[in-house]
Parts: sequence; C-alpha cells; structure tokens
Amino acid sequence: MFTNRLLGVALVITGAIAAWGIIDTSSLAATSAYLVKVEFTAYAWFIMLTVSFLLITSIFLAVSRYGRIKLGQDDDEPEFSTVSWLSMLFAAGMGVGLLYWGTAEPLTHYLLISEFEDPRASASKALSMTNFHWGLHAWAIYALTGLVIAYFGFRLGCPSLVSAPIIKVFGVNRITRGVGWLCDLLAIVAIAIGLGGSVAMGVFQVKEGVDALFGLQDTGMTLTFGIFVVLCISYILPLTVDLGRGMAILSNAAMAIAGGLMIYILLFGPTHFIMGGIVQATGQYFDNVLSHGFRTFTFMDERVRDWFQNWTLTYMVWWLAWAPFVGVFIARISKGRTIREFICGVMLVPTIFSILWFGVFGGVGFHSILELNLPILDVVHENVSGVTFFVLSHFPLPSLTIAAVVVAAFLFIVTSVVSAAFVLGMFSTGGDLNPSSRIKLSWGVILGALGFVMILSGSIDAIKSIIALGAIPFVFIVLLLVVCLLKMLKKERFDAE
Amino acid sequence: MNNLLDTFLNLTVFAFIGLLVWLYFKPLPLDEDDRQDVKKITL
Repeated sequence: MFTNRLLGVALVITGAIAAWGIIDTSSLAATSAYLVKVEFTAYAWFIMLTVSFLLITSIFLAVSRYGRIKLGQDDDEPEFSTVSWLSMLFAAGMGVGLLYWGTAEPLTHYLLISEFEDPRASASKALSMTNFHWGLHAWAIYALTGLVIAYFGFRLGCPSLVSAPIIKVFGVNRITRGVGWLCDLLAIVAIAIGLGGSVAMGVFQVKEGVDALFGLQDTGMTLTFGIFVVLCISYILPLTVDLGRGMAILSNAAMAIAGGLMIYILLFGPTHFIMGGIVQATGQYFDNVLSHGFRTFTFMDERVRDWFQNWTLTYMVWWLAWAPFVGVFIARISKGRTIREFICGVMLVPTIFSILWFGVFGGVGFHSILELNLPILDVVHENVSGVTFFVLSHFPLPSLTIAAVVVAAFLFIVTSVVSAAFVLGMFSTGGDLNPSSRIKLSWGVILGALGFVMILSGSIDAIKSIIALGAIPFVFIVLLLVVCLLKMLKKERFDAE
Repeated sequence: MNNLLDTFLNLTVFAFIGLLVWLYFKPLPLDEDDRQDVKKITL
C-alpha cells in the first residue's frame, strides 16, 4: 500500500496535522489563525481578482464558439437526461453547510451592517451578501474546475487527477511531474482538511438538534463526542462494503428532507414576506454581482476588514479547495454535454437553489427580528449552531422539523465522508476509479481524526482558519488549471480551422 | 517585518501572474514536435 509515495506523504501530512490538533488544539488554532491573517492581508486583492476572473472566463466560454465543444467525443451523447442531470447538480449544491448557515449567515452579516445602516435596508444587504458568497462566483469556481476535469478526461482521455491537465499540456518532464505531484498532494490535503471542518460543523449542529429535541442542557462535549462516535461507526460500513446505489439513496433522502423543510418554512411561515425578501435580495445581488467580486474593503476600518477576511475570503478559498472534490462529481455526470450546457447548468441551477434557500431561511430570521422582535440575534451571538433550531421551534410541529434537520445533517455528513474518501483514494492512487477498501478506510480514519481535531477546537472561527490555511494554495492551482484548459481549447480551435 | 513579509508574498503573486502569462503564450510541446516534423519533411 505504501509503495505509492503520494499516498504515503499525504497520509503522513494529514495525520500529522490531526495529531498536532489532538495534542495541542489551541496551538494549532492560534497558528493557523495567525498565518491565515497574514496571507489574507497580502492576498485579498489577488483572491478577489481570481474569483472574478473565473466568473468572467466561465461566461466567456459559455457564450463563445468554445461553448459548442463537447465534453467527450463529438458523437458522445449525454449519459443522463437533462432533468436528471439538473437534479444531480442541484444535489451537488446541497450540503451540511446550507443547513448550518441557512439562517445564521444572513443574520451574522446583518449584525455588522445594521451598525452602519437602517435595520430594514441592512436585512436586504445581508441577504444579498449571503447570495454573493454562495452564488455565481462560487459555482464558477466549481464549473471551471469540473470543466477542466471533464474536458481532459472525456475528450482527451486523461485520468481524473489535478495533475493530468498540467502534464498533458506541458509534456512529461521533471518539472511538470514535480508540479503535478505537488498539486495532487495539495488537493488531497485541502479536501481532507475541508471535509474535517464539515464533519465538525455537522456534529455541532446535530448536537444542538438533539439538545433542542430532548430539552437537554449543559451536555457539553460528552454528547458531541457521542454523536461523533456514532457518525464514525455509520460511515465505516459504506467504506468497507460497496453499497452500490445505497449511498445515492441516502444522499437523495437527505436532499428531499432539506427541500421539504424549505417548502414547509415557506408555506407555514410569512410567505409574502419571504418571497418579497427573495425578489429584492435577488435584484440587489444581480445588480452588483460583477462589481461585488472586485470589492476588497481596503478603505474600511479594521473591524470590517476582519469581517471580510472571516467571511468573503474564507468562503472563496473554501470553494477553491473543494473544487477538485465537487469538480470530479459534476464532471462524472456531465459526459456528452457541451461546454455551454455544462457551464449554464452548473452555474445557474445551484445558484438559484441557494438564493431560494437563504431567502427562505434568512427571510424567516429577519421576520423574527423586524416583525416579531424575537431574541434571535442573541442566539446568533451565543450559539450559532443553534440558530436553525431556534427558528424551527417557533413553527408548528417543532419536534418533527428539528428531528428532520438532525437526520438530514447526519446523512449529509455520512455521504460526504464516504464520497470524499473515494475521491481522496482516487487522487492518491494515480486516478484509480476503484480504490481498494483499505485505502478508502485509511482516508476515512484520517477524515475522522481531522473532524475530531476541529471538534476539539470547539469554535467555528478556529475551524474556518484551519480550513482556509489548507485551501490558500488552491488559488494558484486553479488558475494554472484554467491556463491549461484555455491553451488546449485554443489549440483545438486552431486545429479545426 | 510585517511589511517585508507582505511585500514578499505580493512579489510571489506578481511572479506567478507573469508565469501564467508566459505559459499561456508558450508554444505547446506538441506544437514543437509538429514543427520538428515539418522541418524534417522540408529538409
């Protein structure tokens, strides 16, 4: 197993980070917070320029003549019908992050913005800001990375690896092999750390849900660790036994629960208020979408700059780090699509869903503040993991809806860990589409250990710092991959002419 | 010290952007092979 140097080094690095976190959690959190602060201060303009460049490049590829190129051979037909394909893209846009931040994120932005502006105007701006974080820029990152993997994989026959386009375009030599190897390694580390963060966030949310469901108080870390152990046991089985479509069924079930919950809140909540908020925030978002991508908040005071680093920059590097993981998934289901179809589908469907999701959950949060005067902002201050449950507790059948969130969050984490262990196994074995159970299990253990470290850190801010640190190199890697794609597309057009 | 670090990190970005521009316009190795083939044929 360890004859594979990449796998060995990747396991050692991620294992060492996990060990450091377990031995001295506060030192890992403090070091990563310091390094991220330094890097974000220096690279803020570059990160925003990069994500804007990726969005503009995606739009250009979709509307230009390149849009007609197929992701596959010219006579390849799409494997899935358009409706199934769009629904699978929709699934890629869902995750524990949406459940966690649905109400909490717009309200957190509101806390800051309302200090400078009228509270009612702040609500719309806070929703628009949330849409920016989860909208077209995020999905342009995924679309371009998925496009690189799909184009080089299906049209040029390369393995689904981050290094494959670099070696294909610049030839096989010591430099490309070295750079490619480093890119594969950094992709593995970034995905593993990012997934560890999601595990921790999911466990925190499930714990809050269990507390709310059974009226428990002061359960502290005991319940958190108990949930974590149950989670580990739950994902070990799918890693050792091929469950075939079983995982897809679990993932669809989680998605159905989340979608049902959104419709429930919309119908049983203040529907006109929520729909009005969605329309207004959507208009505000699309009105500023390009200019927003270039905002660096350089001339604002330190508190605003800190907020910008903790939210906007963290999200953008987070999406960049997850890009190979999500990119592999969306590439695999998109064989036979044209570049135009691919980019339009990947960018628009999940963005529209995110706008609706945050519009509903954020809207009901703002209704609680502006119309009902509920103390929801205190919950945001004190316990961000419990915000969703606070909202649900003011709706009919709270036990049922809280239980639904707990189940959906749990299923999202299990399916994410199993998918991530597969992708990490594939990346660390030179693109093997069937990595052995031993390798997947090794990654399952590392992901669990990293999740455990993030749980020990006990703070969402610490988790965000650790993830951002692993993710920053991906700003450079994604740009390099896009250059590879543009060069090959240019060559293909030149050859065709 | 912080300013020095900031300058260094920004210099790495400038260098990287320069590298990307150079890589974008650099002929593909395949193109070079094609050119060699053309050269051989014309010789």
